[in-house]
Amino acid sequence: MSSKQKHIISLAIAFIAVAVAAFLIYPIDKTAKLGLDLQGGIQIVEKAVPQNKGEVITPEKLDQAKFILEQRVNGLGVSESTVEVLQDDQFLIQIPGISDPDRAFDIIGQTALLEFAIVQPGQDATVDALIGLREQKAKVRADGKPIAMTDAEKTKLLGKTLVTGASLADANASFDTQSGAPMVNFQLKSTDAKKFGQITQANINKRLAIILDRQVISAPTIQSQITDSGQITGVGDIDEAKDIALVLDAGALPVRLVPQTNQIVGPTLGAESLRQALVAAAAGFVLVLTYFVLFYRAFGVLGWVSLGVFTMVFWGLLTAVGVTLTLPGIAGAILMIGIAADSSIIIFERIKDEMRAGKSMRTSMETGFSHGFQTFLDADLVTFVTAAVLFYFGVSTVKGFALVLMLGIMCDLFSSFVFKRSALSLLSRLRIVRKPWLIGVRGLPAKSKGEVA
Amino acid sequence: MKFDVISTKKFWFALSIAMVVISLGALLFRGLNFSLEFTGGTSISWKFEEKVSVEQIRETMGKFGLGGSKSIIQPLGEPGENQVIIRTEFLETAERQKDVADGIQKDLGGERISITSVGAAWGQQVTNAAAIALMLSIAAILIYLSIRFEYKMALTAVVALAHDMVIAVGIYALVGREVSPATIAAFLTVLGYSLYDTIVVFHRILENSRNIGKQTYSQMANSSVQQVIVRSMNTSVTTLLPITAILLFGGETLKDFAFALLVGIIPATYSSVFLAAPLLATIKEQEPRFVALRRRVEAGEAGEVRQKYQRKKTAGKPEQAPGREVADLQDERPEAEGAGETGGQDQPVEPRQPWAGTRPASKKGKKRKKR
Repeated sequence: MSSKQKHIISLAIAFIAVAVAAFLIYPIDKTAKLGLDLQGGIQIVEKAVPQNKGEVITPEKLDQAKFILEQRVNGLGVSESTVEVLQDDQFLIQIPGISDPDRAFDIIGQTALLEFAIVQPGQDATVDALIGLREQKAKVRADGKPIAMTDAEKTKLLGKTLVTGASLADANASFDTQSGAPMVNFQLKSTDAKKFGQITQANINKRLAIILDRQVISAPTIQSQITDSGQITGVGDIDEAKDIALVLDAGALPVRLVPQTNQIVGPTLGAESLRQALVAAAAGFVLVLTYFVLFYRAFGVLGWVSLGVFTMVFWGLLTAVGVTLTLPGIAGAILMIGIAADSSIIIFERIKDEMRAGKSMRTSMETGFSHGFQTFLDADLVTFVTAAVLFYFGVSTVKGFALVLMLGIMCDLFSSFVFKRSALSLLSRLRIVRKPWLIGVRGLPAKSKGEVA
Repeated sequence: MKFDVISTKKFWFALSIAMVVISLGALLFRGLNFSLEFTGGTSISWKFEEKVSVEQIRETMGKFGLGGSKSIIQPLGEPGENQVIIRTEFLETAERQKDVADGIQKDLGGERISITSVGAAWGQQVTNAAAIALMLSIAAILIYLSIRFEYKMALTAVVALAHDMVIAVGIYALVGREVSPATIAAFLTVLGYSLYDTIVVFHRILENSRNIGKQTYSQMANSSVQQVIVRSMNTSVTTLLPITAILLFGGETLKDFAFALLVGIIPATYSSVFLAAPLLATIKEQEPRFVALRRRVEAGEAGEVRQKYQRKKTAGKPEQAPGREVADLQDERPEAEGAGETGGQDQPVEPRQPWAGTRPASKKGKKRKKR
């Protein structure tokens, strides 16, 4: 295969890559995955901590917790939410585009432990007081203590926990048909229905306290045996009922969650940031393209095409890998425009250098690449290594920047070797291209002007 | 362009030292303004419908135990936009965050733009990660340099790198701009860039040192710098173009990034030409054989130049693997083209053969050799 044929194949590969990229990008412009700094939403990191002192967080507990969190997050109805485990004991939850981020934050952090117990004799008044406080959404009691009961308190007021939320098969929210009040309906698992039936049978006329995260929601009197389903009333509004149903459905977390960091970005800020980023990217392009033409004349056009190939392949790769775009990621992409342009410029400068040293234009074009690539290869490698280190150690947003840089460099190398080299080589064979002024080299000694191989 | 970096080196060294000292001073006395991600705390950006005074905000914050000096309130964006940023201690729970937000909403109206909360533990993690990333990058660079070039070059490059980093950080200290993880990311990128820029220069010096001929190391280094300075400037410009675009059109976050890159790239570009090259030349000139070379050059053995160089060229040495010591001073005999003068001359050496061992096939050569 002659070298000419090789180069033509190479160019073909480049254009196929561009076509594939275009195909990947354009099904919809919904192929763009936007991070929450561009879409708005909430990002939370919670640390898993044992429920009780002396317990250990086992991998099973973590898995279970992750599963439950995913259920909860999905229950919020936002697509593209993710739950990730970081470093053994932390969860990173990302919920882009949610309209009520505070609610999400709330739902995620709850332990959601549901307990059923019997109100002990003589404790009615105290229990009622607690129910009342919760209804008023008070944070603390009169004496400053939190509303949630301590272990000791609970035992005194309510005795042992007889049934927990683990026995629930299902939960949902609805309005009571008679009173119109919101409530939570629950179904028990068949295996536990029998037990629940025995308990209620044995305690008719006593009050069954329903406790969520150590706060008493309500304590209705048991009228008759309850076996497989029941209601929780005393919830404030239908939204609260829905939230309670949501967490009950997902299940109680086997660990306690401690918030580490969170970020809520409003939708207006997100959209504005995106707009500005796109304008900056466009401006960057324009500046670079102008620079090309100014200094490399007609070859500047080759620079444009080259940059075009790079951009398409780069964008296609980002889409294929499914990279979520964040602001640092966009910063990285804009930087890559400069780096990719630079690779072309290094080649062009080398061609000019060789021409000034007396080589013919044709030779310079052929060899300009092979002599020049070492330099930008070095540059690209160095940038790649620093990006790789950043990626490995970075905090999430910085990781995005590093990833974009690494992918960008791969694309730069690809487009340089597959496109630029072949394009230059093939073009050098065309007599029409071989005029030094086309690349902006002036005042060459006569011997190399119009040089024919 | 007659441009001598080596003989004016004392000036550049002095300048570099001055900048480093100022930077260190700024760091010591003003310190760095670290962002939330490092220090921990909560930051709430809020947009009010109309102008709201700082006192009013403080009063509302006081209802949540965050009054007085517990809240730092600063305007954000354009004055007409009525946006503020309120910094407080870490509001740990969802509940507390919501309460504060609801409170502001009720008292003063407007809407929440964003809120970021960072606990102390997380902040510590971020700090550690940044420190490790920094150290590892430098280590990786050192290793790469030692493989690619000889150790003296590696050392010089690292000195230039350290110089750049100190100055970049010093500027931040002077200006008081916030240092966030994005800043660190930008700095690490600049680290790579600074290194690259230095490599471009050293690459050429290494190439030229193989055919050093009738010049001192300094002269050769100087002409190498002249050869690559155009490319170096070009590279800086192409990198600065997108950065400028961001500075002009990007939002706050992007601008922070761009600023960090800018602040890093400027000393980086400066140092590869004005610091690294002269420093390397100074170090290498101490080597015995370069001392000897200098003596010879200064004594003026220019005689046989003209005839010998034509023949010598085609018998060029094969390409040497990079990183090996420059061991071919057998070539010291007349190789330089027309560099008959001695001592401190500024004449740039024609880049006739700056890339060793890659002569085009001799049929081309015929045309060119006409004298």
